[in-house]
Amino acid sequence: MDIGELKKQADLSYDISVAKRNALERAESRQIFAYNGHLFRADAETICLVQTLKQHKDSFYILDTNNNPCEIKDPANFLNKLIERNQETLNAYHQINESFSKRR
Amino acid sequence: MTQGVLLFCFNTDTCEYHKIAERCVELIKKNLKLEITIVTNFETYKKFKSLGMINYKLFENEVGNKRGQEQWHNLDRCHAYDLSPYDITILMDIDYFCFTDNLLQYLQVDEDFLLHDKIHDLTNKDVYNFRKNSIIPMLWATVIIFKKTNRAKSIFETVKYIKQHYQHFCNLYRIDFRNFRNDYAFSIAVNQVNGHIQQKFLPGKLPTLPGIAKVLEINDTGIAFKYDDKINYVENQDVHILDKEIANV
Repeated sequence: MDIGELKKQADLSYDISVAKRNALERAESRQIFAYNGHLFRADAETICLVQTLKQHKDSFYILDTNNNPCEIKDPANFLNKLIERNQETLNAYHQINESFSKRR
Repeated sequence: MTQGVLLFCFNTDTCEYHKIAERCVELIKKNLKLEITIVTNFETYKKFKSLGMINYKLFENEVGNKRGQEQWHNLDRCHAYDLSPYDITILMDIDYFCFTDNLLQYLQVDEDFLLHDKIHDLTNKDVYNFRKNSIIPMLWATVIIFKKTNRAKSIFETVKYIKQHYQHFCNLYRIDFRNFRNDYAFSIAVNQVNGHIQQKFLPGKLPTLPGIAKVLEINDTGIAFKYDDKINYVENQDVHILDKEIANV
């Protein structure tokens, strides 16, 4: 076994793991956005919740990041914004992730 | 409603903080596009290069606090409420570099006082785990978004009081760090004004590059840094940089 090569490989894997963690944190920071005076995360959970509630009601209440209730009067508009922001951040994360794959 | 960024900047014998502030201002102008007010003393003010449309408030800073053997001019942030000319203020450390416009989202919320309670260590060394250094969870006063409300004013007034009796509060909350730290002063003030229950925080984490990492390069979109003989970089992400040598990068 070439110990030098193994160490190089381990270092690279560690560096990529740290960089990925930072890139994911960047994406999560970017997913936070303001709507009607409240802060929300444009994550999968919020998108699924809004999509589900939208199918049953024209307007509804959901909790913001600080557990305050917020009335969503225009669910379609809100859902569009959530999806747009979610995909913007994940697209950027995907591109970074691709660059890591090439480094391996 | 007026909105803007408030910065405090006072040079010390060992660090030319105005150079860090100049970089900070460039990034605020580029990414946040908000009005900026710098609170500084006359000696520091004289050293600033021309930064365009910036408001300066000359203020004789309080001295006496130290970090290690070095002077630490951090005793004046409690006056931010009185000094801010804005209805909604982003009070920010000058070593917080905005490579995104993420902070703008926080100006659109109903809350009147928000700050971070979580941190993200970009080196993955988790050097900021201070949970056992006090009985009160430490909040991060690096970025504070506040409005001109009675509650926000009460928090700043409480910080002034805590500053006057800081050693007493260190004993009361069993804080290991005996020099004055805004992080703890604001943590205590927020806790007290909020009736000793948890308050509302900024939902993200404060991305921080600890002092063990040396900044090698800064450009318009990010920074390259070195630690443990490794070179890494972050792009399009806000960063709180602890390495004061950044003034010379």
